[in-house]
Amino acid sequence: MFNYWPWWIGAPALGAIPILFWLLFRRPLGVSGSWGQITRWRATRGARAVATSLQRNPAVMSDALMAATIAQFGNEMAPGALSKSGPIQMPAATAHAVTRARVPASAHLAFLISLAFGGMLSLIPDHAIRIHFSLSPAYSALFGMGWMSWLILLSGGVLVGFGTQMAGGCTSGHGLIGCATLRPASLIATATFFGSAVATSWLMEVLLK
Amino acid sequence: MKSLKLHLYYISMGTIMGFVLAHIGFGDFGQVHRMFLFKDLRLLFVFAGAVGVALVVFAIIRQKSAIPHKILHKGTVPGSVLFGIGWALTGACPSIALVQLGLGRAPAIFTVFGILFGTWIYRHLHARYFRWDRGACE
Repeated sequence: MFNYWPWWIGAPALGAIPILFWLLFRRPLGVSGSWGQITRWRATRGARAVATSLQRNPAVMSDALMAATIAQFGNEMAPGALSKSGPIQMPAATAHAVTRARVPASAHLAFLISLAFGGMLSLIPDHAIRIHFSLSPAYSALFGMGWMSWLILLSGGVLVGFGTQMAGGCTSGHGLIGCATLRPASLIATATFFGSAVATSWLMEVLLK
Repeated sequence: MKSLKLHLYYISMGTIMGFVLAHIGFGDFGQVHRMFLFKDLRLLFVFAGAVGVALVVFAIIRQKSAIPHKILHKGTVPGSVLFGIGWALTGACPSIALVQLGLGRAPAIFTVFGILFGTWIYRHLHARYFRWDRGACE
C-alpha cells in the first residue's frame, strides 16, 4: 500500500508543475492538448515546415500575398510589385511572431509516455513495480474483473478523449491554469466536469453496490 | 529551442508530473472515487491548494507576459459533462490514464486507447459538423 503525500506537500508540488512548464516553454500546460497534437501529427508537421521556411525567408510570405493579389485583381492592383522600390518586405520579427514554430508531435508523444515513466519511478523506493490485472480494488468492487470492466474503461476513455477535446481542455488546462488565472470559460468547465463526475460517482455507488 | 533539447525538456517535465501525480494518489481509482463521493477530502485540498499556489505565481507572471486563455464556446459545457462522466468511470483524466499504466495497472491500457479514439473522432466531427470558434487557429 502506498503512503500518499499529505495535502500540504501535494498542493505546492502539483501547483509547481504548470509554473515550471510555463517558465520552460512559455506555453500553458495542457495534457489533452498533447493528445490532440499526436492525433493530428501530419497537419502539425506541415505547419512546422511552413513556419520554418517563413522564418528562414520572410520574403516568401509577402511574395505569396502579392502573387495571390495579382491572381485575384490583375497587375494594376499591385503597385508594389511593379514599383522600383521592389516588393514590400515583411520584417523578420513579424514573420517570427505570426509563425511561431509548433512543438512537434513527437515531443507531445514523448511527454505522454514519460508521464507513465514518472508514475513507474514513484514505485521504485518501495520495490513495488509489478503488473496488476485490476485497475484498483475499489474499481473491481464496482465493475468486477472481466471484459465488461474493460469495456467500461474503453468507453469511459472515449468520453474522456472526446469530452476534453470538445471542452477545449482538461484538468490541467482548464482546472489548473484556467482556474489559477480566473478565466470564466475554465471556471465554468472545471465546475461542470467536477459536478458531472460527482453525480456519476454517486450513481455508480447507488446502482452498483 | 533546438529539437533534441525540446524533447528532453518535455520528457523531464512529463516524468516529474507523472511522479508527483502518483505520489499524490491521483493515479489510484479508489482515492479519486472517494474524492468524488466527498468521503476523503485530501485530493480536493491538494487540487485547491495547487490552484492557490499557481494563482499567486501566475498573477506575478501575468504582469510581464500574457498567458493564452481558453474561450467559452458551445462545446465547453457539453464537453465537460462528457469528460466528467468518463473521469468518474475510469478514474482517469488525460494524464492519469498514463500514470495508472506506469503504476502497473494493466487495464488502464483500455482507457488509453479510448482517449486516443475519442480525441481522434472528435477532430473529425468538429471539422465536419461543429466548427465553432475555439479561439485558436489549429
